[in-house]
Amino acid sequence: MIALIRTEFFKAANRTRTLVIGLLLVGLPTLIVFAIKSRGNRPRNADDAQGLFRLAQQSGLLVPAAVLSVMSGFLLVVIAGTFAGDSVAGDASWGNLRYLLMRPVPRGRLLVAKAIVAATLIWSATILVSLAALVGGVVVFGAKALSIPGLGAFAPGALATGFNISQATLLLRLGIGTAYVAFGFTALLAMGTFFSILTDTAASAIGATVGVYIVSEILDGITQLGRIRYAFPTHYLNSWETMFTDNRYSHDMVVGLVVQLVYLAVFGTIALIWFRRKDIRS
Amino acid sequence: MPPDPIVEIDGLWKSFGEVSAVEDLSFTVQRGQVYGLLGPNGAGKTTSLRVLMGLERPTRGTARLFGERVVPSSRQLARVGAMVEQAAFVPHLSGMRNLRLWWEAGGARMKDADLDGALAIAGLDDAIDRKVKTYSQGMKQRLGFARLLLGRPELLVLDEPTNGLDPGEIREIRELITRLSTHGATVLLSSHHLSEVEQVCSHVLVMNRGRLVADGTVSDLVGAAGLVYVEVDDRERARAILSNLPNVSKVQVQGDGLIVELLDGQRSDIVATLVGAGLRLETIMPTQQLEEAFLEILAAGDAARSRTEQAAAPA
Repeated sequence: MIALIRTEFFKAANRTRTLVIGLLLVGLPTLIVFAIKSRGNRPRNADDAQGLFRLAQQSGLLVPAAVLSVMSGFLLVVIAGTFAGDSVAGDASWGNLRYLLMRPVPRGRLLVAKAIVAATLIWSATILVSLAALVGGVVVFGAKALSIPGLGAFAPGALATGFNISQATLLLRLGIGTAYVAFGFTALLAMGTFFSILTDTAASAIGATVGVYIVSEILDGITQLGRIRYAFPTHYLNSWETMFTDNRYSHDMVVGLVVQLVYLAVFGTIALIWFRRKDIRS
Repeated sequence: MPPDPIVEIDGLWKSFGEVSAVEDLSFTVQRGQVYGLLGPNGAGKTTSLRVLMGLERPTRGTARLFGERVVPSSRQLARVGAMVEQAAFVPHLSGMRNLRLWWEAGGARMKDADLDGALAIAGLDDAIDRKVKTYSQGMKQRLGFARLLLGRPELLVLDEPTNGLDPGEIREIRELITRLSTHGATVLLSSHHLSEVEQVCSHVLVMNRGRLVADGTVSDLVGAAGLVYVEVDDRERARAILSNLPNVSKVQVQGDGLIVELLDGQRSDIVATLVGAGLRLETIMPTQQLEEAFLEILAAGDAARSRTEQAAAPA
């Protein structure tokens, strides 16, 4: 299994596409850091006062949270969808899948190895974003503690009395937030891997995976759908942000983890069964 | 030598929805044979090989390798080197890296592979370190041969191995197959190139529309389906003897010999009869090539099939 993971990782990591994604994930957070800096010099609306971008001007340790918040909504989804959707369909589109399977390599083991490699790349991408933003943020804004003054009795939650978060706590929460965002792509990974074995065209699998997430985000915005939205894979993706904006760990984070695990179990099982029974024609 | 079946296909059916790709196919490849699967495009050759390699599940029937039933990821596959359709690789990696990754993906150590032998076969020299996406089709096919030989396989399964190659490369590949078979490898070769099968194979199975239509040695197929030229020391006596054989429809004089038209049976029947009668046989050879025999076999198969379908159709 280790050998299989190693070979699959080498194949995925040594692509020009992966290098370009890596550069993008370093460059874009750096650009956002400068955008936050330039915005800080202008008059602000009342609307963005409590947002992560507003907080990020106080401390570079908050910049990764702001960057993750904006990038996890689309760009990281596309990147994660690319790694997951390409996992099996990539080999199939090259015609290489049949050569892998004409050896005594159990299909289930190959699929798990490919999913592990895709998960590793997704986690690496998320961590890279966080680290790039952290470095840029600390250089530009410094590594200060967060201090929010009380806004009065009419403000919601912790904002009424205000709060302070130390540098150590900010770093800890940044680690938790990064891990939560990365784990938040678990459902996408499972669905992407499933789509990847349904087609021999990597672009189709990637498109289907990203498409499902976009549809999920759109539907999640329709409050009239009620509780059904709680089962959407995107519903709890931003629940980590309260660690910074409200100084509390949201219960929704736990529910979000459970939802991701359920998607992993369902789509992972279907993918395994399907792949074991599939006629390989590519 | 006792029979040592390497490949056993028994009553194999493979359907895709309403379409049958392979129907009731049975054949056996013995150790040391170079066995050709011959048929036009769409005859079911590649599908049969995919089932044999565990890539597809049969609708009915079984495929066995080395006496064990083939299932996906069957451990017997470690003893087989296969090229099904064209050789394919990870395009952004070098030829060498492709060989290494493919070998190691199976959990094997590189030191156990016959890398030097495989590289010598590939003959790619410095190009082995170039990315595969820069290779010509011929280079990919040669790298494909190197890959399938890494594990010193006992059985080679080759599906149209010379497709897309230029004449020089085709010749190289055919010589390679012949060389490997003389070194003891059993070969199952699928092709629609008649000359390839004729040059390389000892046995041939002809498929059409998913069915087996003929099976035997190349010389049997060529001889059985048509005319045979015979030269003996007493031509007139031979003519009289052969004219009385039940499987001979016509005997004509041509030059110093006779043209014998066979209804069925094998050339060996003629040889046995003439030698048994005390005649000295100087020459016996088919008057047609495999191509003509192949076309006749296909036509006969099509005619038989349409007769069967007409008989089965409701009045």
